[in-house]
Amino acid sequence: MVNPLVETKLYLPRNRSGLVSRPRLDDHLLRRDNVRLTLISAPAGFGKTTLASAWLAERPRPAWVSLEESDQQAASFWMYVLTALERAAPGVAEGALVLLQSGQAPIEAVLAGVLNELSVQPDDLDLVLDDYHLADGPEIRPGMTFLVEHLPPQVHMLISTRADPALPLARLRARGELVEIRAADLRFTVDEATVYLNELTGLDLDAEAIATLEGRTEGWIAALRLAALSLQGRDDAAAFIDGFAGDDRYVVDYLLDEVLDLQPDDVRRFLLETSVVDRLTGPLCDAVTGQPGGKAMLESLERQNLFVVPLDDHRRWYRYHHLFADVLRTHLLDERGDVAELHRRAGRWYEKAGETVAAVRHALASGDVEHAADLVELAAPELRRERQEATLRRWIDDIPDELVRHRPVLAIGFVGALMSSNEFEGVEQRLSDVERMLAGPPGELVVVDREEVQRLPGAIETYRAALALASGDPAGTIEHAALALDRAADSDRLTTAAASALSGLASWAGGDLEHAHRGYTAAAQDLQSIGHLADVLGCSITLADLETTQGHLRQAQRTFEHALDLGRGLRGTADMYVGLSRIAWERNDLDAAGNYLRLSEEMGAGLPQNPYRWRVALARIREAEGDPAGACDLLDAAERVYVGDFSPNVRPIAALRARVQAARGDLPAARDWVRRQGLSADDELSYLREYEHVTLARILIAEGARTDAVRLLGRLESAAEAGGRTGTVIEVLVLRAIAQGDVQPLERALTLAEPEDYVRTFIAEGSPMSSLLASLGRRRPDWAYPRRLLDAGRVAAPPAAAQPGLVDPLSDRELDVLRLLVSELDGPSIARELVVSLNTVRTHTKHIYAKLGVNNRRSAVRRAHQLNLLTR
Amino acid sequence: MSHDSAWYEIRLQGQLHPRWASWFDGLTVTSSTDGTTVIHGRVADQAALHGVLQKLRDIGLPLLSVAQIDPDPATHTSGD
Repeated sequence: MVNPLVETKLYLPRNRSGLVSRPRLDDHLLRRDNVRLTLISAPAGFGKTTLASAWLAERPRPAWVSLEESDQQAASFWMYVLTALERAAPGVAEGALVLLQSGQAPIEAVLAGVLNELSVQPDDLDLVLDDYHLADGPEIRPGMTFLVEHLPPQVHMLISTRADPALPLARLRARGELVEIRAADLRFTVDEATVYLNELTGLDLDAEAIATLEGRTEGWIAALRLAALSLQGRDDAAAFIDGFAGDDRYVVDYLLDEVLDLQPDDVRRFLLETSVVDRLTGPLCDAVTGQPGGKAMLESLERQNLFVVPLDDHRRWYRYHHLFADVLRTHLLDERGDVAELHRRAGRWYEKAGETVAAVRHALASGDVEHAADLVELAAPELRRERQEATLRRWIDDIPDELVRHRPVLAIGFVGALMSSNEFEGVEQRLSDVERMLAGPPGELVVVDREEVQRLPGAIETYRAALALASGDPAGTIEHAALALDRAADSDRLTTAAASALSGLASWAGGDLEHAHRGYTAAAQDLQSIGHLADVLGCSITLADLETTQGHLRQAQRTFEHALDLGRGLRGTADMYVGLSRIAWERNDLDAAGNYLRLSEEMGAGLPQNPYRWRVALARIREAEGDPAGACDLLDAAERVYVGDFSPNVRPIAALRARVQAARGDLPAARDWVRRQGLSADDELSYLREYEHVTLARILIAEGARTDAVRLLGRLESAAEAGGRTGTVIEVLVLRAIAQGDVQPLERALTLAEPEDYVRTFIAEGSPMSSLLASLGRRRPDWAYPRRLLDAGRVAAPPAAAQPGLVDPLSDRELDVLRLLVSELDGPSIARELVVSLNTVRTHTKHIYAKLGVNNRRSAVRRAHQLNLLTR
Repeated sequence: MSHDSAWYEIRLQGQLHPRWASWFDGLTVTSSTDGTTVIHGRVADQAALHGVLQKLRDIGLPLLSVAQIDPDPATHTSGD
């Protein structure tokens, strides 16, 4: 892993025994009623972390994050925050983490999922964000504001920081939702200093000495600690304190000089040399100092309370207290000329450990930009694979352009990073630079990753194809993709797959489904040949989608089944089951459709689009079961987790909702959608809006505007037929038959649909369709298909089930709550819906979780589906 | 507000050892007998100035004033 999840950042620091008890601060922390946020804001060394961790250790569900500068990147920040929440309450952030990793969902959508889970958590949960000042910035601010504003009452957040965060503090203050603990509160009083110095450190100082120390340090605990260290074993305490009090120097400078002077040479040297690294562990220290014994030294520093903070329970990782680390580094810079060499050694150690991000940081700090560039070039492919392009993107600013000008492989890596963060400006310039490098004398080029060179000509054109797509130029996309396929090395299946997929995507958006299908088929074959199976599954979603539109239902089913045969554990398996559910639904096999969704749930995280596709599939089933309100709730939920994943949005969720609304007779809502989309029966038609226009035709029929509907349907039919979109043709014919009360279009629809065994497209139309089918049956009694459809349409809604498999059945009220847990309503909304208090909802939830043997909302919903508790 | 480099003078409460100059990327650190310290020199732009202020925040020194000053360093070395 280039940049692994740093476990120590989620570690709740254990406090040393012998803390001064500070009841006046505990009173602040224990005030919980109505308080959303506690802010501990004070300069370095005021004991913020100690206070926060001591408090959190007593809480039932603690979530802790020690933030770092790299968390200014939203992706990193939220990864740690969500992981901390997930560990405190398993299941609450599972879905949100998937959405976050897709890199495409707006942060509000990611957080909405977590907040919904949190809002029905039976137990209180406390989240501490330590050293928030390191992460605070424009990238994380919008999400943090949203989170703070929407925190449910059982969740409480504590931020410790050296600078007030840019959050709506004034508003929280005015509402009494903010508790603040500031430097003035954190200063040690004379009484607290007495307990610390005399009782805990055993110094036995008199009242006057303590008062002097307290005055000179202004109750700053970092300084008091240094003073205590300087005083230990001294016979001339009074003289030392007088000297200290009479000096104007920066307190920490003065005291740290004293403490360092007291240390044996080897300890002093160790402290200075290892101050270059952010986290300390024995072998790393050995590498930096060039001496053995780092582990023993760290343990000895911990025992003596000398600046180190343990970062785990195993005596493996430590860090220096931030304030002291800064001061140690000034001593190092001042006294030693070999700081670059120390960084170089640290960098080599990280390089060997495979932690490239840290290795690059130290290489840059040692001034060896060439080596940093080497490392970045080698790391780029893996970062791309792990979708960590943001890390790569950051390095563009750190590596001088001058170096990149001679490094074609690195330059292409940076192009990929820029494009994945949607920065297209200057990309074409960089691409032609690479072309020029390749055309020039090879002797001037610097290439570390030789393997990658042969990929460049194909990669350049692939990126150009992607650029054209981003600028809305499908013809250009197809053109550059063809060049890429031409220039790609034979063995470079990754590039040919990307080019084929881009070409397919451009054709798809343009409505040329056949060409699109060819592109995605080629991409899937290439990807399969190099073992990128999860990506094959991604292509399969698109292929089956195209096939469904083309009316090749059986082929779509085979596509999903073939993808499943590649391996059931693959990421994307969940998506294949959702696809099969959609096909079972069309066949009107609602049990199978529901079962596939359950299987999908059990597979856990899928590809980025799965959260929304899953909800849409369930909404279709709900509607088929006669629950349009439930269907609309699910569609709302689907919309919140919608991710485009670079695909054209050919079946917008809002259009599907308008269909459900029109079918249940809510015409004003459906009409409202038409107005918002600016749709009219006379619009110019395009494939991208085809689903919306068919939806409009449905609404026109429901409104009784049959003439307009028929005119629109006629045009849609010609367009779909010309584009080979038989699936659309069937649906349009069905609607025309209903609008005109005519069996002739129906006959054509049935002829097209019979080989593929369509059912729902017909029977979903209800009684108008039944009479048409009946009259057709009378005219052509030998034709079994219409008769079968007629029978399928007569089957009543399934009866309500008992609760098999539950020792302790749910009460009616608990079932009510459970049904709402399936929706995306948050806790307060569920309470409103049931006209009870939030606490009552929480109690019910607690009982439901206990009876179902689960600990979160997501599992409760899954279990409810398994036990069929939700059938009405 | 200029986005180009400019000279600044930052006054702090407390005497800071001159070795801190390298910590502040070569700015001049001058302690006075009145118990304050002046850090002065040229900073590249506003972002660099904020970087210096952040470093001061991180060592917990109380800030007394920040001022843009005359670019001629000769007039500001009296305390040296």
